[in-house]
Amino acid sequence: MSGAPPQLASPLPSAPVARWRRAWTGMRRNHIGFVLCALGPIMALFVLIRIYPIVETVRLSFYNYNITQRRNPFVGFANYIRLFDDDPFRTALLNTIGYTALTVVVTLLLALAIAILLRSIERAAPVFELLFYVPMVIPWVPAAVIWKWIYDPAYGALNYMLSGLGIPKLGWLQEPHLILYAIVMVSVWKLVGYFVVIYGVGLRSIPEELLEAADLDGATAWKKLRYVVLPLLRPIILFTVITCTIICFNVFAPVYVLTASSQGAPAYDFKVVVGEIYQNGFVFYHMGYAGSQCVVVLLFVMSLLVVQFLAFREK
Amino acid sequence: MKRRAVLIGGAALALVGLAPARAAAPDPVSGKLSIWLGYGETAPTYRLALPAFKEMYPNIEVEILTFDLHEYEAKLAVAVPTGNGPDLLTLHDYIFPHYFENESLDAVPADLAAVVNDPRIVDPVFAKIASREGKPWGIPWWKGGRALFYNLDHFKEAGLSGPPKTLKEMWDYAEKLTKRAPDGTLTRAGITLRLTEGSGGLQKFSDMYYAVTGVQVLEPGPKPGTVRVTLKDNLDAGAQLLLDYVEHLHGPKKVDDWALKHDAQGFANGAASMLMREDWVVAFVRKNGPDTHFATAPVPRDKAWGNFNFIEILSVNKDSKVKKPAWDFIRLLQEQKYLDNVLQESGWVPLRLDRDFSAFLGKNPEYKAFLEPTPGYTPWIEAPDTAYVEVTSRTGDVILAAYRDASLLNNPEGAKKVLLKAQDVAVAILKNAGIYAP
Repeated sequence: MSGAPPQLASPLPSAPVARWRRAWTGMRRNHIGFVLCALGPIMALFVLIRIYPIVETVRLSFYNYNITQRRNPFVGFANYIRLFDDDPFRTALLNTIGYTALTVVVTLLLALAIAILLRSIERAAPVFELLFYVPMVIPWVPAAVIWKWIYDPAYGALNYMLSGLGIPKLGWLQEPHLILYAIVMVSVWKLVGYFVVIYGVGLRSIPEELLEAADLDGATAWKKLRYVVLPLLRPIILFTVITCTIICFNVFAPVYVLTASSQGAPAYDFKVVVGEIYQNGFVFYHMGYAGSQCVVVLLFVMSLLVVQFLAFREK
Repeated sequence: MKRRAVLIGGAALALVGLAPARAAAPDPVSGKLSIWLGYGETAPTYRLALPAFKEMYPNIEVEILTFDLHEYEAKLAVAVPTGNGPDLLTLHDYIFPHYFENESLDAVPADLAAVVNDPRIVDPVFAKIASREGKPWGIPWWKGGRALFYNLDHFKEAGLSGPPKTLKEMWDYAEKLTKRAPDGTLTRAGITLRLTEGSGGLQKFSDMYYAVTGVQVLEPGPKPGTVRVTLKDNLDAGAQLLLDYVEHLHGPKKVDDWALKHDAQGFANGAASMLMREDWVVAFVRKNGPDTHFATAPVPRDKAWGNFNFIEILSVNKDSKVKKPAWDFIRLLQEQKYLDNVLQESGWVPLRLDRDFSAFLGKNPEYKAFLEPTPGYTPWIEAPDTAYVEVTSRTGDVILAAYRDASLLNNPEGAKKVLLKAQDVAVAILKNAGIYAP
């Protein structure tokens, strides 16, 4: 009766399966490894579409790279040195700084004021937030075209309304001293709704007890705002200042549309940095030089953000 | 009778000159012929030629794409150097050098080269633009020229019997034609000047600069592709012209204002009485200002008399896989039928001196200044250069900024400083591009 003993199922998994299991267990223990694996594809995509273009832009900035020419020699820092003598770039940088400062301050103060007012009509607030948010979903180009009509010196709605107050017709887009304010007005109209929503969320997250306690202590509305609301909103303010600064520094479409001297609609040539980069890269085809402008702007904006971060960080 | 008909037919063919071998058996070659256009208004002519082309090449698919002019130039600039892009290249004179310098152009077949080199068929001014090293690299096809548009009703109302013949008359007439509201603001420009967009601004300033100096701001240098800046050499005349502009934009002699509707649109809706512009404005005004009665005249003269022209050159991409069909398409476009059509559809004037467009002119008298030869009137063309857009934009920016500066009124030294600055800007760009001619 002796025969071969019955084969028992192997109690141990085969070697590859065991390796996978060990790796899985290890990975679960090692959280970083797991996260890396999970985010790996996204990170790869991010590197491809975000990091690589930046690195390539930095590389190109050291070349006299013209997209229409086959010979594009290495020129070291020559493009950066040329920037110091570039009047249009300097003008564009100053214009952009002025525009950004004005737009950020006006937009955020207005948004905060509106958000605070909306807290007093809590039930209707979402409706108003939605109304304020509408311009945000309108793309820049049609929005700017609409505003171009509003600003028309002869037939525009703005001059028509101002004429009721006895103010003479103004060339909002034609006069060098008015165009900055005209563009800021469009930007504030477009952006304010977004920040009203953000501040609204921030205000709702402030515990009601703190405000009630302040009331019991006899705090005035201003003191409540100054000593309770604003300190608690500090992270939100930091976020909005940084976001708004980045959006404003990248301004291009509204300026381009509002100032493009199309047939019969001449406007003052208000230069902004992204416009200069576009012109050098895609009109004059100086990709290398445009690359150096991009790098300078990137460093400038990042320094600005560091300063803002330090100014608004939690103490 | 039959023999006579054959002779007439032969003579007609000889007149046509360049009709491709249409009677020959269809060519079995297959593929795709791609044509990109920056001037979309010429697309109907290319489409009109398609059936005849299909007879010759039934297996070749033709793709015609039109773009906004700047978008077209940008796409072409990226595509052609990488061996892509269209097979048939439509190059404006100022971008032509890019493609010649980069060796992107196919050699022009001998029969077409003979046409370009014949001064009875193509004006040497234009043939030279499309030629390098003694031979043509493309076929000049049509031109856009500048002329003076004037509103007949406004002139009648101001008691002016005809267009101004000199620059001085032009400014005087403009003052008479200008209208003001009771508060002094301008309601109608005597002449709509180009006050914005550097490149176009410099072009229009150059119209009058040529009249007062006999040269352009940017002249071709001694070596093809190089450019000379002439502002410093003509400082007094140039400064006086700039002062004339400033005087007519500020103060009591003001004839134009930034707040008015400008350019062709301003002229079409009656906001301006005069305008210096190209052929396409005829169709634009007919469409957008059907009640505007207008005529055209040669650009006013001063020391010199002539007008700015720009041309479109037809070439074939050196990397094209269908070069022969592309050249045959270009041959087709030389036929009277297609030349008539491009004139009719777009208003651009074909560059064939051996063709007759009198029937068209009879029906469209507004084209008089563009089609009728005027003795002593010199066509001139801008210096083609690889930095054209940049140098004209940046130099024009300096001049346009000066128009806004009222402190230049009666300030010749200030005007000279502006022109010297413009000279420096232009020289720096040309030097950087390696095409500066001292």
